[in-house]
Amino acid sequence: MVITIVRHDSWRLQIKHGAASAPILLPPTQFSTEAYYFDWVGFGTLIGLEFPMIRQLLITVPVALASVILGSMGAYFFYMQMERRPWVSNVGFSIISLATFLPAQTLTVPLIELTSSLGIYQTYWGGLAFAYFIFYLPMSALLMSIFLPVVPNYLIESARLDGARDWSIFWHVIFPLILPGFLSTLIFVFLMVWQDFFTPLIIATRPSLYMLPVAARQYVGGYAILYNRSFAAGVITSLVPLIVFAFLGRYFIRGLAALGGGAKGV
Amino acid sequence: MVTVRMEELTKYFKKGKNIVKAVDHITYKISDGIAFGILGPSGHGKTTLLRLIAGLEVPTDGYIYFDDEPMSAPGKIVVEPERRNVAMVFQNWALYPPNMTVYDNIAFPLKMAKMSKHEIDKRVREIAEELELTRVLNHYPKEISGGQMQRTALARALVKNPRILLLDEPFSNLDAALRDSARALVRRIQKERKLTTMIVSHDPADIFSIADAAGVIINGKFAQIGNPADIYNTPATTLIATLSGDINLLSAKVVEDTALIANLKIPLNKGLISDNEAIIGLRPDEMKLLTEPQDIRGFIDIGRVRVKVSSYTLGVFRIVVSPISDDNINIIVVSDEPIEPGREVHLLIKPDKIKIFNKEEKLIYPELKNIVTA
Ligand SMILES: Nc1ncnc2c1ncn2[C@@H]1O[C@H](COP(=O)(O)OP(=O)(O)O)[C@@H](O)[C@H]1O
Ligand SMILES: [Mg+2]
Repeated sequence: MVITIVRHDSWRLQIKHGAASAPILLPPTQFSTEAYYFDWVGFGTLIGLEFPMIRQLLITVPVALASVILGSMGAYFFYMQMERRPWVSNVGFSIISLATFLPAQTLTVPLIELTSSLGIYQTYWGGLAFAYFIFYLPMSALLMSIFLPVVPNYLIESARLDGARDWSIFWHVIFPLILPGFLSTLIFVFLMVWQDFFTPLIIATRPSLYMLPVAARQYVGGYAILYNRSFAAGVITSLVPLIVFAFLGRYFIRGLAALGGGAKGV
Repeated sequence: MVTVRMEELTKYFKKGKNIVKAVDHITYKISDGIAFGILGPSGHGKTTLLRLIAGLEVPTDGYIYFDDEPMSAPGKIVVEPERRNVAMVFQNWALYPPNMTVYDNIAFPLKMAKMSKHEIDKRVREIAEELELTRVLNHYPKEISGGQMQRTALARALVKNPRILLLDEPFSNLDAALRDSARALVRRIQKERKLTTMIVSHDPADIFSIADAAGVIINGKFAQIGNPADIYNTPATTLIATLSGDINLLSAKVVEDTALIANLKIPLNKGLISDNEAIIGLRPDEMKLLTEPQDIRGFIDIGRVRVKVSSYTLGVFRIVVSPISDDNINIIVVSDEPIEPGREVHLLIKPDKIKIFNKEEKLIYPELKNIVTA
């Protein structure tokens, strides 16, 4: 599981044979941080990874957090409609699933069209965040809807009789119970956004807007591949996911375990 | 606080191709301040009826009014549950886990009513004092005993001064030893506050200890409504007799105004039964066993029985006896003392307490004192 989560599009891009390359299997002769330094600050037309990294961090955290919070609320809304208006719930979940499972590539043209017409194409907070939401909000809602049934219906009903409206029910009763699932989903969506190569590739193609996976792509080489620089770029892009997983991995597992053990997972 | 009126109240559920008539055209009015008990077997619509009153179910048909204000109409919730100010104690108490303490649980309805912190604190402490929860206010539900959980649920229900209190089998998850004090507590609170209350149970002891009036619900309909003592003494059918307490139901042959059960002879009023068959109902606590024949006021000796077994539950001995001429008939009698098995004794009954049902299991004697709707 660790491997699948941390695996990167950007990793995959590293392994590519160019016209003239250094031999890959040559064992290192000396320890050097030269490649890291080179990738980090950039050189000539190659954009260094420093700013893409900062940009990536600045957008991934709020996008993931907002996606999962809004996704949880959406999931709760459709879940509550299940009894009273089943069709609302069915249609809602169908759209969510469709949005999650549709290959991102099929949305290339519509997404560019849409962001252009909204005047947010090639913008960071507007276009990029918007595009991320389009992909990861439904995914968050879908994942959270798996965790919602651990909340017993009678608690929701009891809260309603105690005068609670949906907002209070969600925050006071539901949220504490789905917290393990929430953290799981948050970690998962964070990693998904982090490694998303395609979305920034079509929305933010200006060098001044390069996101980390796109910027790392530069070091895979045009005419020649310098394996040490390619792999250094790979290590830099996967640093944050590795740290996240090392420190928060147990919350991820705990959330999944909560599915089996009812609401006792906390 | 309010009068509850149900008119042709109906709830059907679709179960695959079948339709379950959970609540079937119930019309009844529960007067302000009354504790109304609902007795009935499992799966016959008791919970559904409470959920309809609470607004958690949409009626298939019929109306619910609180005083003259409509709450539910056919296919429609007129007033949402969160605005009805109804309190419900769920069978499993539905305490909010895992992040809320007993205090938070009790405070929740007040917080939702946007009451000031100061006022909330005052009210929570008052009710906690009354229900002996002060010591556990800072505990989490999983850290307290069953009795305390039940009182927490009750405190949370009462703290908001509800218009109606709904109790769904509130004692069934309690240890038997705690039930009596819990019943006494609920009864005291209900009477003190004159709180309109509906209590649902399959255990007649819950109903008899709390309710001023009671209905027996069978297949979503009230089969009998009346005061609890009348239901106990004059159950309209054998099923109601069983639901309202322990009873021996014995098939009898009727010859010349005497009911015969093996060697036992029960004299009946002249001409009471024209048929030659009947079912005799005898409650275990309305009989006596005597080792020597003896005249006791109010009792008559109906013959000799043999003791099969004595057991002890809840402070009384329950003795199973059979008529000496038929070992297959079992009669349970409550006694102050055990009697050794195998012994032959005299069975005495109170003739005015005897219940007689016809072959169709309907009560013939004594005369019904209740409104019977089915
Ligand atoms: N949500 C539901 N969906 C389908 N059938 C239900 C539902 N709730 C209750 N029922 C059915 O309605 C009948 C009455 O149930 P209930 O009111 O819970 O009975 P009781 O509380 O007397 O045990 C049962 O047959 C039950 O299976
Ligand atoms: Mg029930």
